[in-house]
This record gives sequence, structure tokens and C-alpha cells, in this order.
Amino acid sequence: MTKLLEIREQIKIMLNRYEAFIFPVGKFLLAFFALSMINGRMGYMNRLDNMALVLIVALTCSFLPMGSMVFFGAIFSLAHMYALSLEVLLVGVCVYLIIFVLFFRFGPKDSLVVLLTPLLFCMKIPYVMPVALGLIGGPASAVTMGCGILVYYLNHAVVENGTRIIALGSEEAVAKIRMVLDAGVLNKEIFIVIAAFSITMLVVWFLRRMSMEYAWTIAIVSGALLNIVILMMGDLMFDTNISVLGTILGSIVAVGVGKVIEFFKFFVDYRRTEKVQFEDDEYYYYVKAVPKITVATPAKTVKHINSATAASRSVTTERTARSASSAAATRSSGRTGGSSVQDSRRSNVKNQPVNKGKSVTINGQMTSSRKESEVDFEEIF
Amino acid sequence: MLNEEKVILMTKLASYEETEGKQNEKIGNYFRGDYLTVEVLKSLLYGTIAFVLGFGLYILYDFDVFMEDIYRLDIFTFAQNILTYYVIALIVYAVITFLVYSFRYTGTRKKLKRYYHNLKKLSMLYQKK
Repeated sequence: MTKLLEIREQIKIMLNRYEAFIFPVGKFLLAFFALSMINGRMGYMNRLDNMALVLIVALTCSFLPMGSMVFFGAIFSLAHMYALSLEVLLVGVCVYLIIFVLFFRFGPKDSLVVLLTPLLFCMKIPYVMPVALGLIGGPASAVTMGCGILVYYLNHAVVENGTRIIALGSEEAVAKIRMVLDAGVLNKEIFIVIAAFSITMLVVWFLRRMSMEYAWTIAIVSGALLNIVILMMGDLMFDTNISVLGTILGSIVAVGVGKVIEFFKFFVDYRRTEKVQFEDDEYYYYVKAVPKITVATPAKTVKHINSATAASRSVTTERTARSASSAAATRSSGRTGGSSVQDSRRSNVKNQPVNKGKSVTINGQMTSSRKESEVDFEEIF
Repeated sequence: MLNEEKVILMTKLASYEETEGKQNEKIGNYFRGDYLTVEVLKSLLYGTIAFVLGFGLYILYDFDVFMEDIYRLDIFTFAQNILTYYVIALIVYAVITFLVYSFRYTGTRKKLKRYYHNLKKLSMLYQKK
């Protein structure tokens, strides 16, 4: 656990330090993933299904506000609808406008949720969204999540009925509109999913704010269970063909993601809970304090090899000068300072008995930190 | 000499001003009643646009049936029904808007109060010096 906590702290530090790079890169990747997924699933307009274009738009999104991703996603989606049929585009524009006009004014900051919800649906784990939003969002996020669900089902309906819409002639305009509206807006499954996810989100939000012990874990697990129950009940009542296994597996993933969020956002030690009571002139205070579990990140001690080298170098140079003079005397050769340093060092190592008293420091360095002395030698040689 | 307390306080204030400060100050300029009235009026406008779009889709959904029945239709009753739906939808939307924005207004006032308290504290620190 300590290792995990250390990793968490290091991640936090890294995010803080490289925030300027990490967020744009994250936005770029998310935009690229979302747009590629729209192109991959719909892909009716060939001109949009172009990697260079997707890359350019994703790159643009990386330095624009979060809302731009939703805007470009909607434009891509509408363009594919247009390529499929003008009637489908009409439905798409109307639904997107209603969503924008009615709901976006409540939670413009949550625009990312509108993009992430359909993405999670495509990844078969939409159950993560209500649990995660209940943990990190507020009750107003339920509205934006509902919009995301509607967006997914509309696009899904267009994809599912694509071939049938193409097969219908231009004189069957009303039939096309009816087909898309039936599958993408007036579908009972949509209402059940929106109701289940919204209730789950609100229950998770409500429970995690309570002062009981293990509130976050209780909120996550009960939210996931409630979600399963509502979806299954809706399936039984309205026969919506929601996959039981998929719901259960998705909910297990949602619990896992919820626990990860808890680890990063609300990791406390309930065993060390303190309850104190005090009063002032106006109130009695009943305070419950739960300590956070934190661990100090291991401080990296940086040894400045250069300073040690400089110190040893000064010793060596001094020594060198002496031995060089003696070597020069014995060999009677006129060498430069640099080469005499090399020579003297060799003579120091080789002729230890001669310079025993002075070489003690060098040996000492070698034994205490091998690397240090290695660098020392490397630099000198 | 750097005054650590002052630097921390100024950083907090600057961070608040950079993020939600400007928006909150706009909200803080309104009285509660005025702010809620403006937002509810905006909602009525947006709600009307959304209702028109929704009504358009409804007509399109059953366009052929609608065109067949249009001459047999009692226009007055039809308009009355549509108007009833419109009023109900707008009332529901206005109530939701009222609740959400009154909650938001209270939160913003609290934040602004904290901000002004910190400003006062900073001013005191300057005076002390």
C-alpha cells in the first residue's frame, strides 16, 4: 500500500509539474479518439474519414477549450448524417439544438461528459459514468449525462438504420424521419437508461457526502447495484433487451474505476477517526475528523559529483604538481601540464607505497563511493 | 523581505479571479430576485425555442397523417392542446431553472464573501506594514 501511495504522490507531482504539456496532449488524444470513433462507426462522408483532417482537428482541440471537442464532434456527426440523408440531418440538427438550448446552460463546464458518455457506450462500459460522476460531480451533472446518453442513442440509431435509410427513396422522407426518431429519441430503452443512470448518480453523490464510515465505498457499491436493479426492472417492464451479463460486468468495471477515483480523491484512515466535542458562546460543536492517508514521496538526494571531483582534483593537481616535478626530474622530459596530470595519477596508483600518505584520500573515495571515484578517474584520464 | 502570508493570500485571490472570479462578480452584482428573474426569463426564451423545435419534429414524425387530417382537424382544440403542453413544459422548465440558479446564487455569494474577506485581510496586512 505504501508503494501505491508513493506512486499516487509521484503522479500528482508529475501532473503539477508537467501540467502545461499533459493537458493539451490529453485533450489531443481524447479528441483524436472521439473523432476517429465517430468516423469509424458512421463513416458515411468519405471526405471526413481522413486521418490528416482528424489529426488537424484534434490538434486544434488540444489548445481550445473543452467545449470545442463537443462542437467538432457534433459537426462530424452531423456531416455524416448529411451524407446519409438530408432528413436525418434535420432530425440531428433539431435534437442537438434542443440539447444545446435546454440543457447546456445548466452545466456548460460539464461539456466533456456529453462527449465521454457516448465514448463509454461504444466501449461497452457506460456504467462507469454515473458512478464516476456521482463521485466527482454535482447533481447538475445528471443533466449533461442525460444529454450524452441521448446523443449516443441518436447516433446509434443512425448507424443501425443506415442501410435501411439508404434503401428508402427520396420520396420516403417522412419514413426516414420516423425511423430515426423511433430508434434514436422515442425509444423506451433511452428513458430507462437515463432514469437508471440519473438515479444512480444522485444516490452515489448523496451517499458519498454522508459522514458515515466508508461512505465512498458504500456509495460506489450501492450505486452500481442500484443501477443493475433499475436496468433489469426496466428490461422486465418494457422488454428493452438490455444485456444482463453486460450490465453486471460493466458495473464491476464501474466499481473498479470508482475505487481508483476514491484512491486519488478520498483516501482516508477510518481507524484513526477522532471525535471531539467543544463549545463556544453560541454553539456546541460535534466534530468528526478523519485523517487522510498520505505518504511523503521519497526525496531524491542528488550527489554533486562535480564538486567532489573538483575537491579531489585540487588534491590530485597539487599532488600531481609534486610528482610531476619529481617525474620530470627523473625522466628529464619537458611535458605539458595536462599530460603530467595523467602521468602523475598513474604514478600515484602504481607507486602507492611511494606516495602512501597522500593517496589515502583517493583510496578512501574509491571505497566509499565507487562511482564517484570512477568518474573522477575518467575525467582525469 | 517576502511576507509568506501575504504571498499565499495574493496567490489565492489571483487564482480565484483567474478562474471563476469574473463570472461570480457578475452574478454578485445582481440582487437575488433580479438574478433569478433574468435567468427564468432566459429559460422561457430558450424553452420556447426548444418547444418549437420539438413541435416541428412532432409534426414531421406524423406529417402525412397530419396533412390528411388537417382539413378535418378542429384547429381551435388543437391549438388549445398545444398551448397547454407549451405552458406545462415552460412551467416545469422555469421551476427547474429557479431551483438550480437559486442554489448557484447562494454558492456564489458564499464564495464572493470569502473573496472579499481575503481582500480585507490583505489590506490589513498592508496597513500593518
